[in-house]
Amino acid sequence: MNTVLVAVIVINIILALLFSLGAAPILVWVERRVAGFIQDRLGPNRCNINGFRLGGLIQSFADMLKLVFKEDFKAKAIKEKFVFTLAPVIVFVSAFLSYMVMPFADNLVIGSQTFIMQGLPINLGALWFLAFAGLSIYGIILGGWSSNNKYSLLGSIRAGAQVISYEASMTLALVSLLVTYGSINLVDMVNFQSKLLFGFIPAWGIVIQPLAAVIFIVTAFAEANRTPFDIAEGESEIVGGYHTEYSAMKFGLFFVGEYVAMSASSALIVTLFFGGYNLPWLGTDTLKENFHTIMLAIIVILPLLSLLFGRWIIKNNVWPSRDDKRNNESKWLIRVLILINIIVIGILGCFLINGITETTTNIAVAIIQIATFAIKLLLMNFVFVWVRWTLPRFRYDQLQNLGWKILLPLSIANIFLTALVVVGLGV
Amino acid sequence: MGIKIVPRYGKSLKDRLYLPAIFSGMKTTISHFAKNLKDTSNIKTECYPEMQPTDITSRYRGVHRLTHRDDGSIRCVACFMCATACPSDCIFIEATEREDGIDEKMPALFNIDLLECVFCGGCAEACPCDAIRMDTGIFSFVATKREDFVLNREKLLANKAFRDEL
Repeated sequence: MNTVLVAVIVINIILALLFSLGAAPILVWVERRVAGFIQDRLGPNRCNINGFRLGGLIQSFADMLKLVFKEDFKAKAIKEKFVFTLAPVIVFVSAFLSYMVMPFADNLVIGSQTFIMQGLPINLGALWFLAFAGLSIYGIILGGWSSNNKYSLLGSIRAGAQVISYEASMTLALVSLLVTYGSINLVDMVNFQSKLLFGFIPAWGIVIQPLAAVIFIVTAFAEANRTPFDIAEGESEIVGGYHTEYSAMKFGLFFVGEYVAMSASSALIVTLFFGGYNLPWLGTDTLKENFHTIMLAIIVILPLLSLLFGRWIIKNNVWPSRDDKRNNESKWLIRVLILINIIVIGILGCFLINGITETTTNIAVAIIQIATFAIKLLLMNFVFVWVRWTLPRFRYDQLQNLGWKILLPLSIANIFLTALVVVGLGV
Repeated sequence: MGIKIVPRYGKSLKDRLYLPAIFSGMKTTISHFAKNLKDTSNIKTECYPEMQPTDITSRYRGVHRLTHRDDGSIRCVACFMCATACPSDCIFIEATEREDGIDEKMPALFNIDLLECVFCGGCAEACPCDAIRMDTGIFSFVATKREDFVLNREKLLANKAFRDEL
């Protein structure tokens, strides 16, 4: 054990926590604000701490606090108290653990040591995700059953049937990807995607395997219990579905678990189909070789982006009544923006003038890749939210038709096609 | 009679693929999102307590008021027409003799219980003297006690029309 090892492992765990658990309040906020904008309204925007609203993000923390401090009510009819308590934990833990194999950056080389940039440094990759994503349905089924409520039971049965029918297609779509990439290790998959196809298209999964991409994304929506496949709940038919009887933080765990699962699904989609932590056309080696150019590009692009963002803040971050302290927020946000610019440009300027060692380059490249991964993850999560506020819920029989009669045959056909191409071309 | 052939949609390959329709739907929602994100003043909703509504029409039925005669005295003659017309029985009137010679009767007590009122406008319609109106434009009334929701004669007389053009 040495300090570098410990430091990298701690940073990895913190990053995994941030991307999964820390993402939940942000995703709730994104969900509500995007829903508002899509429906031509504002969404939560008034909750503030001393005038700081952060665009309404404070509301998510207030809601979370409320859930923590609420009474944990349990109906007398609930006999299976242990299972009832265990169910949200299973949902949350499995969603959380399925996140642990997502690579945030390429393998980091410091001196003679190589680190895998994942929450847990294991090579199971996609299989680990499938295992834990499949486990989360146990939480939903147990929660619905132990609630001793027919709506809860119906909701959990519906969710269980849905997951059975969609997990098959999801795994089969993944098999065709495994054939293409030749590995179950997610880092290998991402590095495969950093190549170029015909010399100019990034060989992202969505280009090589468009059919598998469509099937996988559709089934990932079902896996995360998101609209249009969120039949586990259904306000008009079965009240809250499996979490009807839950209150306070037990409900909160279901709620957060849903968003963590969504984030994990997005992370896997990004890793499998959208080049993971790679910038398009810029693989890890290209980044390391041209790091001076990259630094110059960042020094030019960052102030321009900040300028645009600052102008947006001044124009849109206003509060109707003039003498409200919420109007002071823009001023501080712009100061923070300028400060970030000065720090980043200062550090990069030092590197440019004094030169840069190999280890520092590796770390800086890892930071760029983590940022790329975070942005791609946010965009994919945005797609999840976007689809939710566009499409209505599928009817149950339509959902089963789509799963068994369309997605399953397509994914099997895709495996044969992929195998034929791989064997035929000998790649 | 001509026969109109109704076209049946949903059988073509494009419709059966689902995805084109889904993408066109997503295009609609993202265009709304982009428009509102670019400039939040595009959003039609109002930040309510800070921004009061400006589109209350003259026919809007708000909280009631009792009108005045030209000399400033009460117009109501305590005929009980409004209390009779009221479907929710929220108007309570006690009549008394009018001593100043302008008319014969006037209300000693005129209470309207806003918690019972359904704001149907029946009282204003029934009134033969144009003595009760609902044109104050007051749409929000709050109190901490039940009793505070009962408006008495003086409070009703003090309410003003929110627009003078009538």
